[in-house]
Amino acid sequence: MSAIELRDVSKAYSGRKVIDAISASVACGERVVLLGPSGCGKTTILRLLAGLEVPDSGSISIDSIEVAADGINLIEPGQRHIGMVFQDLALWPHMAVFKHLEFALRYDKSTQVADRPNRILEILEMVRLADRAHAKPGELSGGQQQRVALARALVARPAVVLMDEPLSSLDHELNLHLRGEILRLHATLGFTLIYVTHDREEAAEMGTRVIAIRNGKVHDDANMATTTVTG
Amino acid sequence: MLLVVGALVILGLLPLGIMLGKTFFVDDRFTFAVYEKLFANAREYSAPIGHSLTLASLTAGFAIVLGVPLGLLIGKTDLPFRRAFAVLLSIPLLIPPYILAVSWFNLLARNGLLSRAIPPGIVELLSGWLFGLSGCLWVLASTFMPLVMILTMVYLRAVNPPIEEAGRLIASWPAVFRHITLPLIMPGILFSGALVFLLALGEVGVPMFLRYPVFPVETLTQFSAFYDFGAAAAAATPLLCITLAVLALEHFCLREKIYRLQPMTPGTRMLHVALGRWRLPAFLAVSLLVAAIVALPLLALITASLSPFAYPEAWSRAADSLGRSMIFAVLGASLLTTFGFFCGYLIHHRALRFWRAVDTLTLLLFTLPGTVIGVGLISLWNRPATSFIYATAAIVILAYLAQYTALTSRITMATLGRIPQSLDEAAQMAGAPWLARVIHVVIPAALPGIIAAWLIGFIFCLRDLGASMLVYPPGQDTLPVRIYTLMANGAPSLIAALCVILVSVTLMSLAILGSLFRAAVNYR
Repeated sequence: MSAIELRDVSKAYSGRKVIDAISASVACGERVVLLGPSGCGKTTILRLLAGLEVPDSGSISIDSIEVAADGINLIEPGQRHIGMVFQDLALWPHMAVFKHLEFALRYDKSTQVADRPNRILEILEMVRLADRAHAKPGELSGGQQQRVALARALVARPAVVLMDEPLSSLDHELNLHLRGEILRLHATLGFTLIYVTHDREEAAEMGTRVIAIRNGKVHDDANMATTTVTG
Repeated sequence: MLLVVGALVILGLLPLGIMLGKTFFVDDRFTFAVYEKLFANAREYSAPIGHSLTLASLTAGFAIVLGVPLGLLIGKTDLPFRRAFAVLLSIPLLIPPYILAVSWFNLLARNGLLSRAIPPGIVELLSGWLFGLSGCLWVLASTFMPLVMILTMVYLRAVNPPIEEAGRLIASWPAVFRHITLPLIMPGILFSGALVFLLALGEVGVPMFLRYPVFPVETLTQFSAFYDFGAAAAAATPLLCITLAVLALEHFCLREKIYRLQPMTPGTRMLHVALGRWRLPAFLAVSLLVAAIVALPLLALITASLSPFAYPEAWSRAADSLGRSMIFAVLGASLLTTFGFFCGYLIHHRALRFWRAVDTLTLLLFTLPGTVIGVGLISLWNRPATSFIYATAAIVILAYLAQYTALTSRITMATLGRIPQSLDEAAQMAGAPWLARVIHVVIPAALPGIIAAWLIGFIFCLRDLGASMLVYPPGQDTLPVRIYTLMANGAPSLIAALCVILVSVTLMSLAILGSLFRAAVNYR
């Protein structure tokens, strides 16, 4: 069964097409990397999947449920059960780490109120931030902030997690380290991962499959086990 | 969001509409009689209208000539004590303009402070200069100049450093200013000039005190002296038309360019110019200006108030007005902050199709003369069914909301512009509904801006004269209104003492609330 399916999805801003009739499907638990240069439409695809943008035409399904079709969002972002790590992390500066996760769970109907603290502690252990639960983002290092963003995206146990160049602002060493962390979390939790990057080496490590995007179209779609990407 | 629009219609559009509508009805009959009378006396009104336009244009010109260089010096260079200068030079904007007129009167009048130190011939000359266009221009230009200075400083922050750095590789700073920085912020400077023009156009207190017949005084006279409501409303119409014309010009020529002047993202550092050998001369020049437009008039005011009975009498005659002023200002600022936040949110996120109309309407209400707002509110609320508003302090609060929402909504817009959109989107992804996102994410992230909006709202409510003078219910006057009414026959020392009290209360509130604000920001 496909976790995600895009059918002839197009999106334009001010008359300029940034996504041009893209079709693709992603299987459950797959790690798919969207690879391409700046401005090619990778982030727009993530935002369409998240429901933060509405496709002009075409349709999007998640877990076989149509969530957007022909200019209408059929299911709002918060109801799609998707986690997302933003490029700028989008951490709420006034909330401590624990509060971040508590807020992220507050509107998740599948988690009982009584289960929330345990769920939060569990994810904090996973991202190795249990000892920083009461720190605010400004008091954390770059790597720790990255982990908070990861924890927030994962705490509600979404079936699909979207990551928009999450490691682009980090130095090489930390970048490598956190790639390993993300892969470890993926192996533990089994979510479907859609990961955006413009770095080929990062793409090769993070994806079991790499979709190269150029000018809003799928330029190449390669399984990493068998092929070499030509994006 | 529709509630916000509804409130704005009730606060601003409906009063103005009913005010205009009433000018066409006399004794329940449709007629143009009021306008016929107005046009029949056109020659009588042409001089005041000409005076108003001259005063407003010259004030805007002078404010730009003074305010832009000051904004550049304070906002862009390593001038010593530039923060202190920014605060000191902003003081005239924080106090009612007529208090500055009283201060200059105490300094330059025939028996003023300067008369003790300079020859009678010069005193006579200065005293003559104070009354009329020159005096009004000086007082209003020094009152509104800080607005241009502050906006110049704000818009300078919208210029991205690499743009100037690229220029610096091929030219010196003066050339970069002339060819890159100033052209980039020019729409903002012109906008500030348009604002000053409109604020000076609506000013009543200073021209009345310095005996320069301008048109807004006509509205006030028709209403307060003759209680001719139709004539007052008709007299307000030309001012409404001029304001609309200037705003239309601003809308079509500047608006999009100003929206593009977005503040830099937090963390980006603005480039500062080292003044080098010009540092000391610039410091001395700005100090001299501070002495001339802030220290000297305030000193004259304080000196004039130094009489043994002035302060006890001032207290006995105006303590209740002061108390009311404080309560009204706190209430007004709190409501302005709430209402302005939602207006600013609506405009920033373009949440409704007519967001631009909301922005324009708040700006129109801010720039309309207070007397026009007052007449409009009276048109709407002065009826038996709404006496619970018209006959109570609620009408004063409504006047504040109508006139000053633009201030708090614009501060909100600027604040929201600095908050990454992704913060809200992250909460949206977590399933948080709109109100929860506003309460738990947007408001905490925008808190410093919200507190600043409250402070500005508080100061402007505290200094308001134009609208509150027309709408205050019997026995519920505010301190600026009380001072203004006492000016007709009160002793100069009493008036000066009352002015000192009002200035002190304003500056002390600003200092206390400002330090609380800084503490709150540091705590975060």
